[in-house]
Amino acid sequence: MHHTEKHNFEPKIIAFVCTWCTYAGADLAGTSRMQYPANVRVLKFPCTGRIDPVFILKAFQQGADGVLVSGCHPGDCHYIAGNFHARRRFAAFRKLLEFVGVDLGRLQFSWVSAAEGGKWVEMVTDLTERVRGMGPMQEFRELALEEQWSGAIDTPELREAYNSI
Amino acid sequence: MHKYISENNLKALLDHLIADGKRVIAPRMDAGTPLYGPLADSAGIVLDQLPRRSAKETFFPVCEDIMSYDKEGQQVTLRDVSPANFPETILVGVRPCDAAAIPVLDAVFSWDYKDEFFLERRRKTTIVGLACTQADDACFCTAVGLSPADPKGSDLFLTPVEGGGYACETFTDKGEALVNNHGELFAEPNGTPALPLAEPQTEKFDLKKVKAWLDDHFEDPAWDSIAVRCVGCGACAFLCPACHCFDIVDEGTEKAGKRRKSWDACGFWKFTHHASGHNPRDLQPKRYRNRIMHKFKYYDDKFGQTLCTGCGRCIRFCPVGIDIAAIVNEISKK
Amino acid sequence: MTNSIDTSIYTAITEAIQDEARRILSERSVIAVVGYTAARRKGSAQPVVITQADDAGKLIFSAACVNNLAVYLTKAKKEIPKGGKIGIVVKGCDLKALVGLLGESQLKREELYLIGVPCAGVLASTAQPARELTGDTIAPKCRECDNHLPQGCDFVPDQRPVTLELAGKYSAEIARLEAMTPAERWAYWKEQFKKCIKCYACRQVCPFCFCEQCLCDRNKPQMVETTPRPAGNTAWHIVRAMHLAGRCAGCAECERVCPMDIPLNLLNRKMAKELKELYDYEAGFEVREKGPLAMYDEKDDQSFIK
Repeated sequence: MHHTEKHNFEPKIIAFVCTWCTYAGADLAGTSRMQYPANVRVLKFPCTGRIDPVFILKAFQQGADGVLVSGCHPGDCHYIAGNFHARRRFAAFRKLLEFVGVDLGRLQFSWVSAAEGGKWVEMVTDLTERVRGMGPMQEFRELALEEQWSGAIDTPELREAYNSI
Repeated sequence: MHKYISENNLKALLDHLIADGKRVIAPRMDAGTPLYGPLADSAGIVLDQLPRRSAKETFFPVCEDIMSYDKEGQQVTLRDVSPANFPETILVGVRPCDAAAIPVLDAVFSWDYKDEFFLERRRKTTIVGLACTQADDACFCTAVGLSPADPKGSDLFLTPVEGGGYACETFTDKGEALVNNHGELFAEPNGTPALPLAEPQTEKFDLKKVKAWLDDHFEDPAWDSIAVRCVGCGACAFLCPACHCFDIVDEGTEKAGKRRKSWDACGFWKFTHHASGHNPRDLQPKRYRNRIMHKFKYYDDKFGQTLCTGCGRCIRFCPVGIDIAAIVNEISKK
Repeated sequence: MTNSIDTSIYTAITEAIQDEARRILSERSVIAVVGYTAARRKGSAQPVVITQADDAGKLIFSAACVNNLAVYLTKAKKEIPKGGKIGIVVKGCDLKALVGLLGESQLKREELYLIGVPCAGVLASTAQPARELTGDTIAPKCRECDNHLPQGCDFVPDQRPVTLELAGKYSAEIARLEAMTPAERWAYWKEQFKKCIKCYACRQVCPFCFCEQCLCDRNKPQMVETTPRPAGNTAWHIVRAMHLAGRCAGCAECERVCPMDIPLNLLNRKMAKELKELYDYEAGFEVREKGPLAMYDEKDDQSFIK
């Protein structure tokens, strides 16, 4: 029973990508008819420098099982240095998430250029399969249903909702 | 009704109640901090210190859902939270400053609008008060007309006696029912004297004089010198047994969400921030003035009571050492 | 008590601070002095702003002078007179915050008159302010203080603090958490964050939380749930730690004021440790225009990026 559940689990992967490189790379993968898991939901940003760490947090809170952040290779940023700034910010943020207990296996950063449709497919596939192996991201989902004791109401419907995750 | 209960029998009483499926709320350690909360068994109870947050959250939760919604296409489903689901509760180990604040809160929650979220919890809860034998120099219950043995707000009141255990006195039907349902755990009073009560050292306020000054000094330079240091957090209001302001927000997604009611504080900049961008309480002294005015004037005007029971939490835990007892004392001498 | 800490110099320091404040106020070289004054409770202290030389006698320094007064100089605190030179009493840890604020162009050095305090340490908590300063009651930050004698101030009393060698607590606690599994760490923080009531004392006392509107107060778009529930609390503390990374110099006011005893400075120290390891950056020592997360090097580590 448990085994089938795991097999049926389709992870939700959120990809935050820059429009100039990775989005174009993903587009190339599509126009080249390459196959990659449909688990990924792509969100396009002008630059990785625009991707606030709070977006990653929000994605997990809203039910993502894995998050991919991807942009231009160093030196290729359309805005010259957006990805350099992003690189530092994410280097720090992943340490923080790790420290509060998020398994970093669920968070992937990559550089995927407009010409690297194949690398995009590889990134998405790897992360999806890895997260599939890890199972659903329970921590944030459970947290979202928790209340301070004084506000908690123990009704059958709520218990059912809690047990269903 | 006067009775005696030993410490072990008090614990046995709590365990019986828990076994009966009642919710027993009492001070216990929560990740290193003394807080009220549901007991799993009587062993966890901590009765030697004032919990950091007051007992008000038993009736007025830090945050609670008051409604939820689902939206599918054009179809919106609203669901009310039914107060009928609130559990029957015994609130134990409540100090007089916390217990006395509860009837003070009754006034506002049953005034023009009957707040069933508060009132239903109130109906379903039996309050067991506990007299204080220790006070520090932040305690000032006596200054606002209460005392370390004031049973106001308690259904059943315990006073520690020499040699251990507690003298019990019932004040309401709920209190009597609690004793009668567990009669085997209570003994007849044996005349043992009570332990010496705590003696808060703070001078008694002349609350009439305080109010008279507040009536005439909405504008006064004193507010600036009192509150220039206030950094605008909500620690005082959130730890206070009597502060009861709340905010209501909708949280969720486009498809489903909850309407939530949570504690709010007049110290916050956003508390009176208008949608237009204007803020009538634009600086911290005006916000702090509201705290004092509400406690010692507005609440008195409306309900004839003081919205402060002298627990001293706001004094102990103000990040910048603002001392409401010193301020009110100063006002009373103006 | 064997581990009591000598605070006898605080009496002389109090006098020196009073004299200096009296001098600069009467010479009108400053418009106000932000310092500490005694409050009603035995041993207690609270911040005070004085503008008259006659009030200089109100100033004190004691082990209960815990506040980082730098917070009053930020644009978030509109109640304090601005638009002229201001005198401020600073401990070494507070000075680090001022250095950060100078770097972030929030303050101008020429508009500050710094009265530095030779500091042997302050209390961890002022819930009971009359407690003696000992190795047990001292603030954890003071155990690992490297700035007992603030440098670069306009005036520092002559007294020299005698300090005890005390083992640091933060690095040991960080190491303990790092050795846990992610699930164990999650469980630890969940217990802590659950207590949070969103009183925002941590934000309000932080010299670096000077945003006029905090991201976490916004509801359009709402990035962080504003309600004091476990989910919103966790998000708030993660965002707070991230926004202070590379800026926080460890005054630990957030942790001191938390009425729920959440070990907030652990998050800040952890981030400081990581930024030191990654970019060899330590906040609070010199006025620098850009912090580690506002600049980059083309050769920065990217081993975590595929």
